[in-house]
Amino acid sequence: MVAYFQNPLNIYITAMAAAFLLGLVHKLGKMASLTLFYGALTMMAAVTLGSALSLSQPLIIQTAGFIAPLSINLQFGYYEAFFTICVNIAALLGGLYLYDYLKDSVLARALFLMLVVGINGMIMTRDLFNLFIFIEITSIATYGLIGLDRNIKALSAGFKYILAGGMISAFFLLGTALTYYKTGTLNIDQIIAMKDVLQDPIGLTAITLLLTALLIELKPFPANGWGLDVYQGSNAGIAAMISVGVSTGALFALYKLLPLFPAQHMGIISGIGLATFFFSNLMGLKQTDAKRMLGYSSIGQMGLVLLALSFFHTAPLTMFLGIVGGLFLNHFLAKAALFWIAGIVKKDHIKEWGILSQSKMLTVVFIIAVFALIGLPPFPGFWAKWQFIMVLGSGNHTFIIAAILIGSLFEAVYLLRWFNYVLAGSEEKLACEKSKRVPVLIFGLITAFISALLIKSSLGPQSSIYFFPIAFAVILMFVGNFIPTKLRALFAISGISYLSYYVQMNVSGLNLIFAQMFLWGGMILSIATFYKTKAKPATYGLLFLMLASLGGLVLSRTTLEFFFCWEIMTLASYLLVISGKNAKKAALTYITFSLGSAAFLMAGFALSNSLTLMGLAALPSSQATIVFTLLALGFLIKMGAFGVHIWVPGAYAEAEDDISAFIAAILSKAGVFGLFVIAIYMQSTISNSTLAYSLGWLGILTATFGALMAAFQEDIKKLLAYSSMGQMGYVIAAVALMSHLGWVTALYLSINHILYKSLLFLSVAGVIYRVNTREMYKMGGLIKKMPISFISAMMAIIAMSGVPPLTGFGGKWLMYTALIEKGWHLQAALAFFASGIAFLYMYRLVHSIFLGQAKPEHKDVKEAPLWLIIPQVIFMGLMMVGSTLPRLWVEKLSVAVGEFMPSTLTWSGQTATTSLGYWNGFMVMNIVGVIFVIVLIFLLLTFQKVQKVKQFNIVFAGERPFTPETTHVAYNMYAPVQKALGGWVKPRATAFWDGVTEWSHTLSHMFAGIYTGNGQTYLFFILLFFLMLNFLIGAN
Amino acid sequence: MIKRFFIALSLIILAGTFAKVVYNFVPNTELTNVAKHYVQHGTQELGATNLVTAVVVTYRGLDTLGEVVVLFISAAGVGLLLRRRKNDLVTKEEKRTEPSFLVQSVAEILVPLIFMLGAYIFLNGHLTPGGGFQGGAVIASGTMLLFLAAPYKHLNHGVLTALESISGFAYVLIGILGVTLLGAGHFIDNRFLPLGELGTLLSAGAIPIIYIIIGLKVGTELSVVLEDMREE
Amino acid sequence: MGLYLNQYPLASIVLITGFMMILIGLWGMLTKTNIIKIIISITVVETGVNVILVSIGYIQGRTAPILDTAVLQIDALSRVVDPIPSALVLTSIVIGLGTTALMLSYVIKMYRVRQSLNIEDFGVLKW
Repeated sequence: MVAYFQNPLNIYITAMAAAFLLGLVHKLGKMASLTLFYGALTMMAAVTLGSALSLSQPLIIQTAGFIAPLSINLQFGYYEAFFTICVNIAALLGGLYLYDYLKDSVLARALFLMLVVGINGMIMTRDLFNLFIFIEITSIATYGLIGLDRNIKALSAGFKYILAGGMISAFFLLGTALTYYKTGTLNIDQIIAMKDVLQDPIGLTAITLLLTALLIELKPFPANGWGLDVYQGSNAGIAAMISVGVSTGALFALYKLLPLFPAQHMGIISGIGLATFFFSNLMGLKQTDAKRMLGYSSIGQMGLVLLALSFFHTAPLTMFLGIVGGLFLNHFLAKAALFWIAGIVKKDHIKEWGILSQSKMLTVVFIIAVFALIGLPPFPGFWAKWQFIMVLGSGNHTFIIAAILIGSLFEAVYLLRWFNYVLAGSEEKLACEKSKRVPVLIFGLITAFISALLIKSSLGPQSSIYFFPIAFAVILMFVGNFIPTKLRALFAISGISYLSYYVQMNVSGLNLIFAQMFLWGGMILSIATFYKTKAKPATYGLLFLMLASLGGLVLSRTTLEFFFCWEIMTLASYLLVISGKNAKKAALTYITFSLGSAAFLMAGFALSNSLTLMGLAALPSSQATIVFTLLALGFLIKMGAFGVHIWVPGAYAEAEDDISAFIAAILSKAGVFGLFVIAIYMQSTISNSTLAYSLGWLGILTATFGALMAAFQEDIKKLLAYSSMGQMGYVIAAVALMSHLGWVTALYLSINHILYKSLLFLSVAGVIYRVNTREMYKMGGLIKKMPISFISAMMAIIAMSGVPPLTGFGGKWLMYTALIEKGWHLQAALAFFASGIAFLYMYRLVHSIFLGQAKPEHKDVKEAPLWLIIPQVIFMGLMMVGSTLPRLWVEKLSVAVGEFMPSTLTWSGQTATTSLGYWNGFMVMNIVGVIFVIVLIFLLLTFQKVQKVKQFNIVFAGERPFTPETTHVAYNMYAPVQKALGGWVKPRATAFWDGVTEWSHTLSHMFAGIYTGNGQTYLFFILLFFLMLNFLIGAN
Repeated sequence: MIKRFFIALSLIILAGTFAKVVYNFVPNTELTNVAKHYVQHGTQELGATNLVTAVVVTYRGLDTLGEVVVLFISAAGVGLLLRRRKNDLVTKEEKRTEPSFLVQSVAEILVPLIFMLGAYIFLNGHLTPGGGFQGGAVIASGTMLLFLAAPYKHLNHGVLTALESISGFAYVLIGILGVTLLGAGHFIDNRFLPLGELGTLLSAGAIPIIYIIIGLKVGTELSVVLEDMREE
Repeated sequence: MGLYLNQYPLASIVLITGFMMILIGLWGMLTKTNIIKIIISITVVETGVNVILVSIGYIQGRTAPILDTAVLQIDALSRVVDPIPSALVLTSIVIGLGTTALMLSYVIKMYRVRQSLNIEDFGVLKW
């Protein structure tokens, strides 16, 4: 009995015996034949697993009592085991999924079993003609199953498939015949051993024919129109089997025959894979039909696997499975789940997919699958893609890297757009049978399980640092439904505190400073989240995940760890942003840019050829320049630098109000940290280079335009968003100075930014919570209603503007000193101008919200909730201490930077001295304090003289304005300034990116035009594909 | 027109490739190594005088099993597409032309003969040209004639399915018998039965049995396909 | 090298015929709009491939690989043609039969839905 489970031949025997018997058994009743069918599928999966587990060395199975080449042999080695396990598990679950479809037709069940036999055969057989037969079995079974839906879509798709299949089999058989003619054998191993014989016109034609046939099975661009139609037209369960089963067979068959392909022409295969990946994803952009979109994605992913195969088909097992296997597994798990979900939703147009959101479980699997396809961690595709790109980087395949990364970005865009429609929700009821839900769930769990294993195995000994926080976050997300909000928050905060303790124990210097920024800042801000009575179930898990990934960023030593944390951060923050009420569109922009940023990072790390961050220091300068540029672009996108800032307002404004604070205050520092990391390691190359100089200008421009755009915002959160962008500009410029004082300034400004942006966002969160609007002109006079919020905002603004006595003053002083010390006078002037502009929006903020008279509808407004006030008080306290005793912390910054370059800042008491002058925070605070008290007393004495009028008691020209608020000065406050300077802030960047979007969609449409829907056109493309391949191989 | 031009052009290029193959083609003057083994040892090893049969049934027996599967699933596919389902609208049966007296009476005589010829072909597959597939096809042609002679007569689906089902299963079973009786690596080996005297009907081990099974399976399957197509 | 038409007329002629059939079949597949004609074209291509298979197994002046009284065991090596291509052709014919049957069933159903046999009427899915 045990022997039964250890012999892969029993997969065939079981399936065939069952399939043949089904007809007879069916006479005994439907139950009997259903039992037989599912029993057989289970046994097949069990035999595969059993055989794989008992495998000590590749198993060769002879048949008919003769040794190959006299008879046909099968092979079951590690590679075969991997792919057959995938296929047979998918078959078992796919069979279960298709229960509804198969239960009424015994013929369909037989076909399904034989389909699985065919795929297994394609994987295991070592005989060329036998391979042909198994390809035919697979194809014919598929044709039959597609025909079960007898509607016009399925029929015409199925027929096109048959036409293509007919051409494929003619090619393959002809190739087989010619191969036999040249080699005198049909055994694949022998043929490969004799491949030199095939280096003449006949042999090469034979190889081309065989490879064309197998490649076409993988649906390469552009000879794949029929495949798309099949994905769209057939039943989702069948489409899933085609996507993950039939393609697997074809892929493995190709892998077997790849050694025949002349090595010098392997680039052709790579090219085909790359083109397929790129163009499929490009064309996917325009898709609105869910299954066709999945078709494009499927074809694209197989293209990527093909590309990887062309590079690693001779690689050792672990590398092969790590890259090719990983990419394949990723596609396999995600695509099966998505096709199955498509069959449950039963909506063609993605706009109607809101219905899916009624099932939380399915939505979770959906998002897992989508993230896996995009290549986000910790899903299998992430690790495989990383390894792959790194290898490509070490081979300097820049073009391929670029194409892969851009193609991936296209895929991300259309998949996430789809996700947005899912989130839109729907009134309609989602009907879902258990038989369909279970396979989806199991695939979701398998994906999660494999991802967990991959974290463990890919990150090495350090992995538990990354594994446990993720596990904790996931648990926190899933218990979200069962435990009260406050308790979840408590868990999250204690998690963060432990993490912050752990991280601080393990880092020092600059990293410690950043760890404290991220985690302490995060911890204090977390208190604010208590103000919401009801948070979404996943919020705290995600919040924790985001902060943990920032902690991980600080801890990471290798580029992989860094990138892993970076991507987890992207993922978590995206999900946080998208949980805002109207955040879907903004979140899409945000994630698109974030993934773009990640793509730059990946390219940068790949081209650096370095496994560790430390290794970046050892790059020769020409290489370092490129690597620095790429990495810096990645970080700059995340910081919202000028030109790539268009995601900033949306993401900041549309996220939930307390989340916005996290994003603005904490998350934006991740980019700063990244910039620091590369600036430190590549210091020698970058110092005094044009690169640093340009970076400096970019920072100044970002500061100027951020301030300008902030001034013209009516939406309070958008104002704050642009303000953040502007403030980050100063930081960029300060880092670019590449001097001790510059870096201290950058750190100082970053910490200061955390303090005042937290205050502002929290204060504003309270205001929005009370007045329910983000339009500033609708507010006003809240100073009396919300005094603490006012003080908080006021202090923040003082700190931001850089006037004494608060922390901002020191920052500005350091910055101008550093700029002038470096000799960047023009930049200093512009920075000064930007600060002037900044006053405009700061004044607007305070004036519109807090000053003036309260609107009548706000007469009952109360102070912000206590939970929002507490963190504000803490931050205010910190700010007071920091302003009065600057040495307490600025010296630490100075020392930390001093590790990398000689210090130019000296201290005596609270007085900091540079080559240009000195600053004593303590003294400034005292002087200003005295002046403040004097002015306050004066104001209190004169306050009685103020006379109040009714604010909107306005009639002019005999008319009463319809919306009196718009006549108030707060409305469109800087119209005159806008007239003068508005030309500068025309949305050029937005227009540019809109143009990019427009163009890619146009291209998408243009290329998709080749898929005319006519079966003959598709055939013609297949013929042309062969001729092209033949030409390319024959050319040399 | 332009489309046709491009098609013609690419076919001409393809013809060029083919011409290159033809130009370089040197017809074989000797058997390949594998074929040599079959020719030299095939008859002793398997007991079949028809070497094509030896190759088809035993040496490349896995192919043949696959071939049976292909036929089986094609028939299933046809059935799936054409057979009426529960919720299909029942259309009125079309009026079929009554066959002529000649067809009816000739069919009465010929059909049994055709069936017999089919049986003869698959029974002697190991000795003379022919075999299970050919025999099965002949039997199906008998069925075809039956349909022509009696357009309103239905085949007994139950019996056909049972026959088809059992013969398919039996084929797999015989394959397994090779493994159980002769050991691993002997799947679909015909030698678990004695090879007998070369050239006689009861020789070549299990080959005649396999061909009977295949003949029955192919015959019934093709008949079912014909029936399905007629009934549509 | 070179065209061996003179030396081995049969095999070469059959080979050329096979290739011609493939080309003719492909022309039909790509230009005929009637689905039935397309299916016929496909079978022509398939037959062409089979013909080529046969020609590859053929050896000038030899006979079928059946070792009865006419061809004795002893000189079989020099008397019979290659049995393998014959076996392959047999299989390939059966497969061809299967696909053709399936295609025709599709056509029957497609005709029922659209009342047309023109392939251009079945382009419902595109782009």
